[in-house]
Amino acid sequence: MRSALRRIASLAIKEFIHLRRDWWLPAFMLLGGAIELVLVGWATSRPMTNLPLMVLDGDRSAASRAFVVDLGNTGTFRAPEWVDDQAEIEAALLRGEINAAVILPRGFAEQVRSASGRPVVAVLLNGAESLPATAARRAIEGVARSWGDRIAVERVGLDSQQLESFFPSLRVWFNESLSEALYTTPAELGLMLEFTVLIFAALSISRERELGTLEQLLVMPFSSLEIIIGKAIPAMLIGFTDFLLMLGMVNMVFGVPLRGSLALLLILALGYVLVELSKGLAISVFARSQHQAFLLVMMVGMADFMFTGYAVPVETMPLILQKAANLVPAHHWLAILRGILLKASGIDVLWPHAAALVGLGLVIGGASLRYVRRALN
Amino acid sequence: MSWRHLLAVARKETYHILRDRSTFILVLLTPTLLLLLMAYALTVDIEHVPFAVLDHDRSSISRSFVQGIAAGKDLDLYGYVDSLEEIEALLVRGEIKAALVMAPDFSRRLLSLEGMPLQIIIDGTEPESGAFAVDHVGWRAEQFLRDQLSAQLQAMGIPLDTLQPVDLRVRAWFNPGLEPRVDLIPGLISMVLGFPALSVALALAHEREHGTLEQLMATPIGRAELLLGKMAPYILVGMANVIFMPVLARAWFDVPFHGNFALFFLLSIFFLFAVLSMGVIIGVFMRTQAAALALSLLLIFFPGFFLTGIFFPIAAMPEVMRLETLGLPGTHYAIITRGMFLTGVGLEILWPYAVMLIILGMAFTGVAALFFRKRLA
Amino acid sequence: MEIPDPIIRCQGLGRRFGKAWAVEGLDLEIRRGELFGLVGPDGAGKTTTLRLFAGLLSISEGEAWIAGYDLSRQAEAAKRKVGYMAQEFSLYGELSVMENLRFFAAIFDVDPQEVELRAADLLAFAGLEGFEGRRAVHLSGGMKKKLALACTLIHEPEVLLLDEPTTGVDPVSRREFWEILGDLNLRGTTIVVSTPYMDEADRCMRVGLMYEGRMIICDTPEALRRRLPGDLLELRPEDWRAARRTLAGMQGVLEVQTYGEALHLVVDDAGVRMPEIQARLEEEGVGIRSLRQTPPRMEEAFISLIRQMDTQKAD
Repeated sequence: MRSALRRIASLAIKEFIHLRRDWWLPAFMLLGGAIELVLVGWATSRPMTNLPLMVLDGDRSAASRAFVVDLGNTGTFRAPEWVDDQAEIEAALLRGEINAAVILPRGFAEQVRSASGRPVVAVLLNGAESLPATAARRAIEGVARSWGDRIAVERVGLDSQQLESFFPSLRVWFNESLSEALYTTPAELGLMLEFTVLIFAALSISRERELGTLEQLLVMPFSSLEIIIGKAIPAMLIGFTDFLLMLGMVNMVFGVPLRGSLALLLILALGYVLVELSKGLAISVFARSQHQAFLLVMMVGMADFMFTGYAVPVETMPLILQKAANLVPAHHWLAILRGILLKASGIDVLWPHAAALVGLGLVIGGASLRYVRRALN
Repeated sequence: MSWRHLLAVARKETYHILRDRSTFILVLLTPTLLLLLMAYALTVDIEHVPFAVLDHDRSSISRSFVQGIAAGKDLDLYGYVDSLEEIEALLVRGEIKAALVMAPDFSRRLLSLEGMPLQIIIDGTEPESGAFAVDHVGWRAEQFLRDQLSAQLQAMGIPLDTLQPVDLRVRAWFNPGLEPRVDLIPGLISMVLGFPALSVALALAHEREHGTLEQLMATPIGRAELLLGKMAPYILVGMANVIFMPVLARAWFDVPFHGNFALFFLLSIFFLFAVLSMGVIIGVFMRTQAAALALSLLLIFFPGFFLTGIFFPIAAMPEVMRLETLGLPGTHYAIITRGMFLTGVGLEILWPYAVMLIILGMAFTGVAALFFRKRLA
Repeated sequence: MEIPDPIIRCQGLGRRFGKAWAVEGLDLEIRRGELFGLVGPDGAGKTTTLRLFAGLLSISEGEAWIAGYDLSRQAEAAKRKVGYMAQEFSLYGELSVMENLRFFAAIFDVDPQEVELRAADLLAFAGLEGFEGRRAVHLSGGMKKKLALACTLIHEPEVLLLDEPTTGVDPVSRREFWEILGDLNLRGTTIVVSTPYMDEADRCMRVGLMYEGRMIICDTPEALRRRLPGDLLELRPEDWRAARRTLAGMQGVLEVQTYGEALHLVVDDAGVRMPEIQARLEEEGVGIRSLRQTPPRMEEAFISLIRQMDTQKAD
């Protein structure tokens, strides 16, 4: 046993020496991944804002101008461009220059003032970009609704408080400011960590096989298990360091909190890194070259992407997919990550996911070990 | 530049790829597979969002209200609870994404036209399902209110639409239902078509890693000829995918192509040229495949994913990032692709983007050729 | 441009990597039509020298000209007249024999009318007829090397630079390869070839021995063989270890080299020492199967020379 440990240690040390010579590779991955996370997060975590808007004010009244001011106050749009006819709007839509256009027809103010008038607000949205269009629509609807409330209040003689009581009140938990960053950045972190570890693991063996140095290892008195563990150690260290770095980044730069136990997070992170490592190992068995290993990693990574709940929470997906998600380590990891970071979840809540990770790790690890042994021999 | 040289290298590279059957198939199919995986991940509809109910009123009205909300597959009733603590626990465990709290005087106040005391609680860590729940509950609540109050309001001579005086007429161009799928699929297509860039970076680095470039360097081949020739097979792969993608979009995703296909084909070639030359630059500078891979992921793939305006509008990004996105071929190509799928616009509108692609392609190739030395050291 | 003679010329040529000089102070002249061999142990600088001549490495110090081109300024132009075969010659395995040849023909701007003719010639010359359609990866080791050679000849270069072209090739193919080289040389091609095999060095017109980046000696094979300080005896003892122990340090025995089961003894005078050796071995009870004088070969000369360099270094 002790000699086995010594052999493994010597292998791991050799790997580190290699790494030191190619030190820029892990440096790239660590720094690059962290910087990328920051850049991407910065670009994508802002709520929809600064959207180009065109306004055609056919009324030119105080009321219509006030309406436009309210639109601007939503923070969703940049200073609107005022135009004089619909043709300009249509051209701009065709060119994709605006996300939305608001048309206030003549008589807007009159309809607002009169006792039973219905002021018309026409909106043209650029459906070619559906996400900002939806955000624009929501913002405009919000303004329309608040104007409607105000008008109704004046007409019916209800005071505004009474009117408000007809609308449900909203309470947001865990993310009071509804900051997008809290939602997207953990998912981005998870995605990048997975890719980093997978690629590193899959490439390390494919590379040696391609360059022919793997054969040398095999004629030495290492068992294939020892070879794998020896290679896994530096990969694991790098993956784990990567995680720590990215965690620090999202915390400091995006204000993503750590509400739960750091220790628990780190332990489970280690476990997750191990699981992804064994996945990478399995891939490297099937791949016949580094190029192929890489392509396979991309596809596996993307398949997992869906299950991290990046776009849509897994619990709201069709049932089949929910079942499938249980087999994806990244799904459990994201649940753990979000739980510990944002909901202060403890092991009592997270144990099913942790158990799933352990189970998946054993299965994947065990299977890939067997295949790797065969492939190496 | 000698066309004979270029053709010779292009032919050699093409044979090289074609005859490595397994790699070729992977390279050819990866864009399509990625598209399928990602499209599915991102356009999955939200459905059966689980919610809990804390009903202090427990009247027939409150119950029928809840039934109305749970009808259909948008929201799923998880169950009734007795306290806010229970709600919190369920939210933490992720078993519910939203909850409704009804005050004890819910039905009384409703019937006496005093209001509808309803609180919606959402899990802020998943804003999408939260917003979805709010939208649906809000809409159903509104309907419920109308149903309950219609008789009474009519008797009081108050027109129903008093509560919503503003006549908001929304029309979404190009994508009337504002379905994300409709613009996301073309956006994803534009993204996955750039994927071969990573392969070309790997291919170049492969030659350096294995020392097979040495022989070529000792010949009078021109630098640009060598690099362009390296791109050749990937342009062919790209072109094959360009032909296939619109067919797939229409058949599988029901997203039709409205533009002129010949134009799309031509512009796609410009794009391929630009994005592949990015890969070439990386291949020129990196000496190992692993490094080329890491760098191309960081500089081509992830930016191509997050920063090209496919998911996050560029308008909403910080100014600095907006400038950077101009340097990404994917940004311009996404606009072209979306435009041609959704709006059928032609060169008269798209020419600036086509020009940008050509400029970027020439610039990147120029840089690559400049820094590529036909020397080992 | 007129091809000058000497066709390769360098003065004080040097190349360093970081702080280490792989080649230093190289003065060499290779004449047109020469078959020049470059030998030396690993790391001696042979590959670096060839790469410098091929324009693959930039010059760190000194000057070099090949086929009339100044390598510090006109390396690219020089590549048209030079045929270079890297140690790791990468044929394009996925391409067939003919496709490989055509590829290089295109790169070297061989007149399209000429390509097929030359290719056929070369294939015949290299003994590869009938294999035109075979993928390069499916050729035997020896045939791969011959194909590689053919690819470097397609443009009829003035100078051939070959870096250990026969390493890893079976002896029969090696011999065939050298016959081809010999034919080429007869036709007037200047060839510079590096090799670890001493018997190949023997076939060259001149041989240059490199050691730790420097050219130690450069002369015809006969002259080099005569450099051996003394006569050479071949001893086949019953127990070579015992024999070596006995004879090392014996007066008149300048060197003892092991050679398989035999010992090669460099002595100052064969006539004098042979009986002395016989006597001493008998004294020690070491049986002798045979003892005779044999003409010195390059191998011994080189080993001896290198040992001298090592001892000089140690002093």
